[in-house]
Amino acid sequence: MRISWHTRLPWAGLGLALAALPGLALANADVEKLTANPKNWAMQAGDMYNQRHSQLKQINTGNVGKMQVAWTFSTGVLRGHEGSPLVIDGTMYLHSPFPNKVWALDLESQKILWKYEPKQDPAVIPQMCCDTVNRGLAYAEGKVFLQQADSNLVALDAKTGKVVWTVKNGDPKLGAVNTNAPHVFKDKVITGISGGEWGVRGFLAAYDINTGKQVWKGYSVGPDAEMLIDPKTTTTWMDGAVKPVGPDSSLKTWKGDQWKIGGGTTWGWYSYDKALNQVFYGTGNPSTWNPAQRPGDNKWTMSIWSRDVDTGKVKWVYQMTPYDEWDFDGINEMILADINVKGKPTKALVHFDRNGFAYTLDRTNGALLVAEKYDPVVNWATHVDMKTGRPQVVSKYSTAQNGPDVNTKGICPAALGSKDQQPAAYDPETKLFYVPTNHVCMDYEPFQVEYTAGQPYVGATLSMYPAPNSHGGMGNFITWDAGTGKIVQSKAEKFSVWSGALTTAGGIACYGTLEGYLKCVDKKNISKELFKFKTPSGIIGNVFTYEHKGKQYLGVFSGIGGWAGIGMAAGLEKDQEGLGAVGGYRELSQYTELGGSLTVFALPN
Amino acid sequence: MLRKLLLGVVLFAAGASYGQDQTPLYTVVDGYKVDPFTMKGFRTWRAAACDRCHGANQEGLVGPSLVNSLKTLSKADFVKTVRDGRLDKGMQSFGSSQQVMDNIDALYAYLKGRSDGAITRAKVEPIPQ
Repeated sequence: MRISWHTRLPWAGLGLALAALPGLALANADVEKLTANPKNWAMQAGDMYNQRHSQLKQINTGNVGKMQVAWTFSTGVLRGHEGSPLVIDGTMYLHSPFPNKVWALDLESQKILWKYEPKQDPAVIPQMCCDTVNRGLAYAEGKVFLQQADSNLVALDAKTGKVVWTVKNGDPKLGAVNTNAPHVFKDKVITGISGGEWGVRGFLAAYDINTGKQVWKGYSVGPDAEMLIDPKTTTTWMDGAVKPVGPDSSLKTWKGDQWKIGGGTTWGWYSYDKALNQVFYGTGNPSTWNPAQRPGDNKWTMSIWSRDVDTGKVKWVYQMTPYDEWDFDGINEMILADINVKGKPTKALVHFDRNGFAYTLDRTNGALLVAEKYDPVVNWATHVDMKTGRPQVVSKYSTAQNGPDVNTKGICPAALGSKDQQPAAYDPETKLFYVPTNHVCMDYEPFQVEYTAGQPYVGATLSMYPAPNSHGGMGNFITWDAGTGKIVQSKAEKFSVWSGALTTAGGIACYGTLEGYLKCVDKKNISKELFKFKTPSGIIGNVFTYEHKGKQYLGVFSGIGGWAGIGMAAGLEKDQEGLGAVGGYRELSQYTELGGSLTVFALPN
Repeated sequence: MLRKLLLGVVLFAAGASYGQDQTPLYTVVDGYKVDPFTMKGFRTWRAAACDRCHGANQEGLVGPSLVNSLKTLSKADFVKTVRDGRLDKGMQSFGSSQQVMDNIDALYAYLKGRSDGAITRAKVEPIPQ
């Protein structure tokens, strides 16, 4: 049985009753109601647990093979299309990459009800190098929330598209731009910041949904007060137990003032547990990519966070990759699920990290329960020490131990991780996680670089290629048992699976591929491909589903781009290898072209 | 003396390129050993993270191939593009980056060497003294 906040109907009623009382932080009854109705797709993940599971079952294992294209919509934008539209009571809200256009479509006629196109300084485009993605909108109480690239967070009237309020979330002149989707939890819209490659100091911020007024802002690195950490009550996993972090837990792990340009950005997907009143998310890489320039654990970059939604106060924090030497951003989504972990019913948080380990934590206190490789080729660490929570680094693949100007070869995974932003799904029936993954390794050469405000601050040259001695492809779609830390099934793909997965009560699991195929498989046996359709461009968007007038629809954005789609895999030692297997993603051009569009499928009448 | 002469022969073989004042734009040995000035250009290329868009081999990613572009782009246009950017196309302005602007001639020399095919791989090393 699926236990999640929106099935607890009495709470929804209570939320409405409390709404009349001033001064109380209220559950957002509107979003609760909308997401509880499987006909809608009212949040980016479908719910606040980040599960990406739908109760709809009209499209099922028996008939999904008959699906046809119902309608399509071009965004007219050429860059990578991440995220998915929202569907709320007969209206669909779509977004595009920069310039971040927003449309409201009437689902009956597919007529454009309104369109919003912000004017943004084009100077932010190159700061989003190398792609200008946007991961989608949020909705609550008649407002659509857009986190623009130029860091402006905007609330639009859902009926008219008119701007209700705008707030500046970061300074693009310093490279602080945005690609993340805003998330509405309670009466707040939560957003983060990008720019780890520009030396931006990351944070998570909460704004009042009605006024746009900032309620709290918690930094990822720096003094306790600015991170909203209480040295006595904020805990972390150490010595096999949950213990207070103690004073200056971040400052002590940086040399001098380096934390000020230390990264820890927050461009992923956030989740929320109403019962705990906590928001969960991850922080990205420390800046620069050259570890020699920033000795120490660089806390709290590369970490999982649990913050109080009302105050931002940090309940617990856990660092996955102390002193990152590989750009293993920790921003991937935190999926909340109530599962058996090693036989014990647990309020779990499950996270598939860029570093190649999948973590299962007790989300009530941050205790580490499981940390195992979810791609067997992961080699930079042998294992995670369950007592200290630290990965045991293999010297051969340590870019810090090998030092600057040395090209460390054969590191698995590559910087784009065993999984990047492409979100996994959790299916409450099979109790498995459906994970789109990368199967890519790299050579990594760090070098000295100087910080200049508003300029790239990277300091490493990378080359990436398919995992050697494997199936030759650059991705796998896997199912994962988070209670034991084991891969259950693995389905090989030619390219990285950069699209977010969906599971449904109809027994299917669906995902997109970089070549542009939407694929639906039997969720009990993922090697059984039940449906395959080539959309107009490569897919890095997330599969979603909704129902309109008794008919179930299933859709996905296509529009190649993002890190994988752009083709990061140059940087070869030998030029003659240039266009061969080593330049893996270059081959994509044989399969697909740029161009953003939505394809919506349904069963024939 | 002999060493200098030999070097000259190698340079000729590699097709060294000359600027307007007839001093070499870059000098290269074995396709990847370069003079200190060109070396500075390579270090600038790396520090400014140009590879994020143009690829670690200058063959292009989201940005165009510089191996191709520098066959037709004049020095003046190159400097203008780096200084002012082409914002709508995603090329940022490096006008405020002292490191890039101080070394723009060296950066040009390095990239021109790549484009000419004289520098045969992206990663170069100093000519041993």
